[in-house]
Amino acid sequence: MGSVSTVDDPRERLEFLQGTLEVLILRSLQLAPNHAYGISQFLEQQSDSEFVVDNGSLYPALQRLMQREWIDSQWRTSPNGRRAKYYQLTPAGKKQLRAATAKWQRFVGAMSRILAPGS
Amino acid sequence: MRELWTKIHRWVSRREGLDEGLEDEIQSHLDLVVEGLVERGMPLEEARARAQREFGGALRIRERAREAWQFGRLETFFQDVRFALRSMRQSPGFASLVVLTLALGIGVNTAIFSVLYAVVLKPLPYPDSHRLVKLEESTPKAAGISVSWRNYQHWSEESRAFESMSGFVMQDAILTGRGDAELVNAASVTHEFLPLTGWQPYIGRIFTSIEDRPGAPPVVVLSFEFWSSRFSSDPGILGTSLTLSGTAYQVIGVLRPGLSFLPRPTAVYFPLGARIPQSTLRSDHQSMRVLAKLAPGATLERGREELSTLMKRLAKDDPGPEDDHRVTGRYLDELAKEGIGPTLWLMMGAVTLVLLLACANVASLLLVRSSARSRDFAIRSAMGAGGVRLAWQMLTEHLTMALAGGAMGLLLAAACLKVLRRSASSNIPRLAEVRLDWHVLLFCFAVTIVVAVLATLAPAYAIARRDVASVLKDGASGSGSGRGGNLFRNLLVVAEIAMTLVLLFGSSLLLRSLMAVEARSPGFDAAGVLALELQLPRASYPKPSDAEQFYSRLLEAVRAIPGVLEAGLTSCPPAAGSCWDWWYSVDGRPAPAQGEVPLSLFKISDAGYFRTLRIPLKAGRAFTGADQATSPKVAIVSETLARKWWDRPESAVGRQIKYGGPYRPGDSYEIVGVVGNIRQMALDEDYVAEVYLPLTQRQNPSAVIMIRTGGDPSALTSLVRRTVSALDHNLPIQSLLPLEEKLGTTLARRRFSAVLLSAFSSLAALLAAVGVFGVLNYWVRIRRKEIAIRIALGASPASILGWVGLHASRLTAAGVALGVAGGWFASRWLSTMVFGVSTRDPQIMLIAATIALVVAALAASLPMLRAMSVEAARNLHDA
Repeated sequence: MGSVSTVDDPRERLEFLQGTLEVLILRSLQLAPNHAYGISQFLEQQSDSEFVVDNGSLYPALQRLMQREWIDSQWRTSPNGRRAKYYQLTPAGKKQLRAATAKWQRFVGAMSRILAPGS
Repeated sequence: MRELWTKIHRWVSRREGLDEGLEDEIQSHLDLVVEGLVERGMPLEEARARAQREFGGALRIRERAREAWQFGRLETFFQDVRFALRSMRQSPGFASLVVLTLALGIGVNTAIFSVLYAVVLKPLPYPDSHRLVKLEESTPKAAGISVSWRNYQHWSEESRAFESMSGFVMQDAILTGRGDAELVNAASVTHEFLPLTGWQPYIGRIFTSIEDRPGAPPVVVLSFEFWSSRFSSDPGILGTSLTLSGTAYQVIGVLRPGLSFLPRPTAVYFPLGARIPQSTLRSDHQSMRVLAKLAPGATLERGREELSTLMKRLAKDDPGPEDDHRVTGRYLDELAKEGIGPTLWLMMGAVTLVLLLACANVASLLLVRSSARSRDFAIRSAMGAGGVRLAWQMLTEHLTMALAGGAMGLLLAAACLKVLRRSASSNIPRLAEVRLDWHVLLFCFAVTIVVAVLATLAPAYAIARRDVASVLKDGASGSGSGRGGNLFRNLLVVAEIAMTLVLLFGSSLLLRSLMAVEARSPGFDAAGVLALELQLPRASYPKPSDAEQFYSRLLEAVRAIPGVLEAGLTSCPPAAGSCWDWWYSVDGRPAPAQGEVPLSLFKISDAGYFRTLRIPLKAGRAFTGADQATSPKVAIVSETLARKWWDRPESAVGRQIKYGGPYRPGDSYEIVGVVGNIRQMALDEDYVAEVYLPLTQRQNPSAVIMIRTGGDPSALTSLVRRTVSALDHNLPIQSLLPLEEKLGTTLARRRFSAVLLSAFSSLAALLAAVGVFGVLNYWVRIRRKEIAIRIALGASPASILGWVGLHASRLTAAGVALGVAGGWFASRWLSTMVFGVSTRDPQIMLIAATIALVVAALAASLPMLRAMSVEAARNLHDA
């Protein structure tokens, strides 16, 4: 079960809400195929280090996405000449990403309307 | 669905490689991290250590990633097993009741299945056994006639539908010259017989076609069992000679152990072609039967037609008295399970009902417990455990108990088999082959799994339908006690009573049939009679008169033994079957057509035989001392034969009966007396026509001496033995048993099925009683409050009793009604086994229904009493 961390301490990094990590992984693969380390780097950088991806969550999430056939994988050589397992979106994954993005935007919109009605 | 399929697909195809891939991936991940750190100027060693530290437990990641892949998750499964074992320990009474019930159900099923498998389902142990057939001659009126040597020669040379054909004759031989004379079971078989049955020599060799010809040097092959018991497995026996029935045979080989084809264990095998009289008469029968193997692709029907066409042609080319003979054949595997097959399938059906009863009881027990634990389940599902997860856990728990039950059941089956083998081996073919082999183990395991799944269905269904919130609010009584659970338990009770009634009805029918058969008069009085069976070797008694003289002296000596009241002799005792069937005709009647000549059983007896067995004389006289070899030939006929031709038995006296009928040679005999019928074949068979010829005028080397004693017949066995040996110490005794014991075996199969089915129905009744008790007891328990309120409102104990009783009797009535219908329907499978009663005998149905009612009433009485003794005050306060 995912838990929502309180943001009383602004230095505390955010934890993922249930299901969000998977959407974020899909998003990170939208531009180009990437390996697990690359995905976690991407998420950390894009969130200004608000999100720290725990490898213990990342790998199971990748496996779940594989099972649903939203992503695909294959071993490739990185630009630095290292072999790594690259993940890429499948057509179904692209569709899912669009659907999930729309849903999250609605959710976020609703949340912020309620939490900050004045602003 | 798609996800499941991908899972299955990957699980099957890539399970092995999965871990490796993940490990590589993690390694490459670490390498990338290290690379990044080193680029930023960190020393390699430090970078490695940091990467490791920050990465988190690789093992844990692997585990969790893998969990996402697998279904059952072994880990969770073992956790569930541990949970199951713990909860079994916590309620040992409950657990042992469940395990014991399942052990009973699975045990009897496994035992009966192992018999069914060995006797009916398992292929015969011969190469291409499905193509083996037994061939016999037949006429329009009679089948099962032995094949004459001449006909066999024609068949085997001219038939195309058969790949190979072999003749065989069962015989006896007397082994002399090696200590005491010994009677051994022998068989003469043609040389094709051993390859047909796939038999191989253990040492030495089997005989060839050259030794299977007239005039060939006499050779013999021993069975392994005879070789090891009689000659202590001495390989030096090869090449030596054995004197069998007066002829010396050279031992050329010993067969492998465990080979049996003939209905009795056989010690020695002779080449038939070297021994059988080479008669050119097609009507010269020597008790030979034919074993044949159909050519690949040929059917028995085709083979039979081909041979019958051949017989028609032979009737023209080589006419004789048997031109109407044709050919019948039966598949060997059909013959092997004849009679016993339906019985065993019936028993399998009965034990399946017992298993269903056991399942019903266990399901009802589990349902009660699952509702007792429904709070526990509700809390767990409120905490996030899915319904499927809980159902899996429950199934694991039930599997654990079922496996314990299955293991115990296997032990029970082994014990049952021991009893079965000891009590019924003589009348069930291949029973000795019954093993708890892998087929049986597989069956037992499959039954166990099915039982666990069946027993899980009801409680799992109850959980699936349960509303978590209402259970948590409700308190102890969960949805298992709700409408659905109640209906299910009521149905179980109805089904249990119905199934028990079906079994009770079936077993009562069989028991009643057994009683009817046993009450039938055999036509003679076997009580107190000792039967001595002898066979005189031709070598020592070459002339027919030698046999007559020996038997006369023996009878005289036996009659002189103190305690012997009377003694007599017959060539064909009751229950020995049709030892000697032959055609006959009587004078003064129009001669029947060639195919219509009647058959009668011919027996040789002396004057004392009728007195000894107390067979009543209906007309005329018995044999007397005046009937000598030189005096006019006389015969005594049975009442059945006399009434076939004449109105009154008296009219038969003085008539002539001709042996062989009008178309075959044979003497004529004057009928001097008519005696009562006896049941020759078995007590449940009809009378057959019988003709008795006096020992003085017709002789046979084998005979049974009947000895009537004043008391216990077995007390005289040693005296009788000594008397025989005083006359000829080289003469082996074939058997010496009280006649009643000898006859008992004719009803053994009937008794076997009646006793077995009764045992199963008692077991069913016991299980049903436990089931009814459990369900009603629970019914009362969850209604304690309601009962307390009724009592508080002024209901008398009697009215409470009436209320609970009404519920119990409704269920019982429904069960009995269903059982009566089921019993009517099922009894038609018993039709071949029922004797003397109708398969729909209302009286027997009444008895069975009464027993079922009494069982149900007894089981219901305790919960009813408990309902009456509910204390209003306490239960209301508790609430």
